[in-house]
Amino acid sequence: MNEFLSLFSYDFMINALLAVLLIGPLFALLGTMIVMKKMAFFSDALGHSAFTGVAVGVILGITSTEISMIGFAVIFALILNHIKKRNPDNVDTIISVFASVATALGLCVLSFGGNFSEYSSLLVGDILSISKKEILYLLIIFIATIVFICFAINWLNAISINATVARSHNIKVQLIEDIFAVIIAITVMLSIRWVGLLLVNALLILPAASSRNISENMREYVGYSVVFSLFSGLLGLFVSYFINIATGPVIVIVAAIIYFATYIYGGRS
Amino acid sequence: MNKTKKNIFLITLLILLSVIGIIIISIGVSMSKKNDAADHGTLTVVTSFYPMYIAALNITERADINLSNLSEPQTGCLHDYQLTTEDMKLLSEADVFIINGGGMEEFLDGVISDYPNLKIVDASQGIDKVEDNAHMWMSIADYMKQVNNIANGLSAIDNANADIYRDNAAVYNSKLEELKGMIPDTYRGSKVVLFSEAYEYLARDLSMEVETVLDLDEEKNISAKEVAETVDVIKQRNIPLIISEKQYGEKMAEIVKNDTGVKVVYLDTIIRGNYDKDSYINAMRSNIELLREAASWK
Repeated sequence: MNEFLSLFSYDFMINALLAVLLIGPLFALLGTMIVMKKMAFFSDALGHSAFTGVAVGVILGITSTEISMIGFAVIFALILNHIKKRNPDNVDTIISVFASVATALGLCVLSFGGNFSEYSSLLVGDILSISKKEILYLLIIFIATIVFICFAINWLNAISINATVARSHNIKVQLIEDIFAVIIAITVMLSIRWVGLLLVNALLILPAASSRNISENMREYVGYSVVFSLFSGLLGLFVSYFINIATGPVIVIVAAIIYFATYIYGGRS
Repeated sequence: MNKTKKNIFLITLLILLSVIGIIIISIGVSMSKKNDAADHGTLTVVTSFYPMYIAALNITERADINLSNLSEPQTGCLHDYQLTTEDMKLLSEADVFIINGGGMEEFLDGVISDYPNLKIVDASQGIDKVEDNAHMWMSIADYMKQVNNIANGLSAIDNANADIYRDNAAVYNSKLEELKGMIPDTYRGSKVVLFSEAYEYLARDLSMEVETVLDLDEEKNISAKEVAETVDVIKQRNIPLIISEKQYGEKMAEIVKNDTGVKVVYLDTIIRGNYDKDSYINAMRSNIELLREAASWK
């Protein structure tokens, strides 16, 4: 037990713990909406746009690439959203094209001079190096998300069931979808450095998908998703700390186990 | 779906996972305990990577301190290195952190500022840098300066052991001086192509004229154009020698060798190796021997 408590004597562990406590519910909430609106591929594509975001920052000579990452991701999300709307029949193709272009553009710039390895930390992420300031950013976006979801959860729900009917009820479909896309964009960009581009989408989708397997109403859906997300985040953090492996993958593995367990349980009954 | 049944299922699932987690954690803890057994003494010194560790190992000999090195990167160079939890623990317990400096530890910039009480000893202070290149330890002369910098830095922080540090540094530097004397003179003024910027410092010790530096050090993708340019440079300027690193440079070096008949020497960049206190000297000696051999084919 003493060994277990010893981990709280390190500032970096407390920071990581705070980050998990924030990222967990934030991802769970956004994830439920993403899964409900069948946007899993969209958020994945957003993650890939981080390459170009960093590249833009490098070209413009911005020292903190976060700004360029977020800026680019927001623009990327909005453009994608609008083009998607015009071609509702082949959304997955459009997203795939966008994701590929963003990845390729980013890789072109970042690999110039053969220095790509400098940016490889983007791929895997490192939650242990998160600082207090960055936790504050996460807190701000977390509060913004909660406010947005409190206001818009029913609208989002209505839109995802039938956008035309929603529009006829005077719901500002385009505006709400745009705000939602921007929030996803900012959240993904703020979290990429901690969970890694390769796994950020898994953390968004898995808790919500697990919850969807077994929940019967909206309240259960959101509630279970938060529980799963927090649980896998905390367990993943502790396990990775004590056996000295990267945190992100352990969290994803725990979340995946929960997914399969709920999948089997949900299918059985 | 039955609600209570579902909740029982969920609670069982989460408890089961926690138990598995706790089992894994306790295995991890019991294993790491064995490693911590030797942890005593007053000052805790951490070095950023291999050559700094070997230097510090020699300088702190017989002094009652804890010395450890951050875990070694598995990849070619430090630039893309990520800290493990073990490293973060080391740093948060450390009193002194010895770095190579010159930009080599860029990956730590964000981390160090989290530990305001950590005293940093920058080994590259006052060393004449080759552009942005921070591989100073590859020049024996500069490495000796680094040894002095580390000894002075440690003495200023840990007064009680200052004499030990200075004496040890003097002993180590006399060994290095002897090693420096072994550097062959046959390469003076001769042209060379380097397949890692690490060798620029070695080339300076050898008084060679560096024509081109290709940094194959990191997992870099070499374009066909770069290969062609290198071949052209070697042919046009009649360059007799390439110094390359085995792990990353071999493929490229063999291609160029087949095309031009240039000689290739594979040398150690001494960024990893065994943790013996003479390992820098041994590695550098074998580098020098390889260079002498290469010169004898002339």
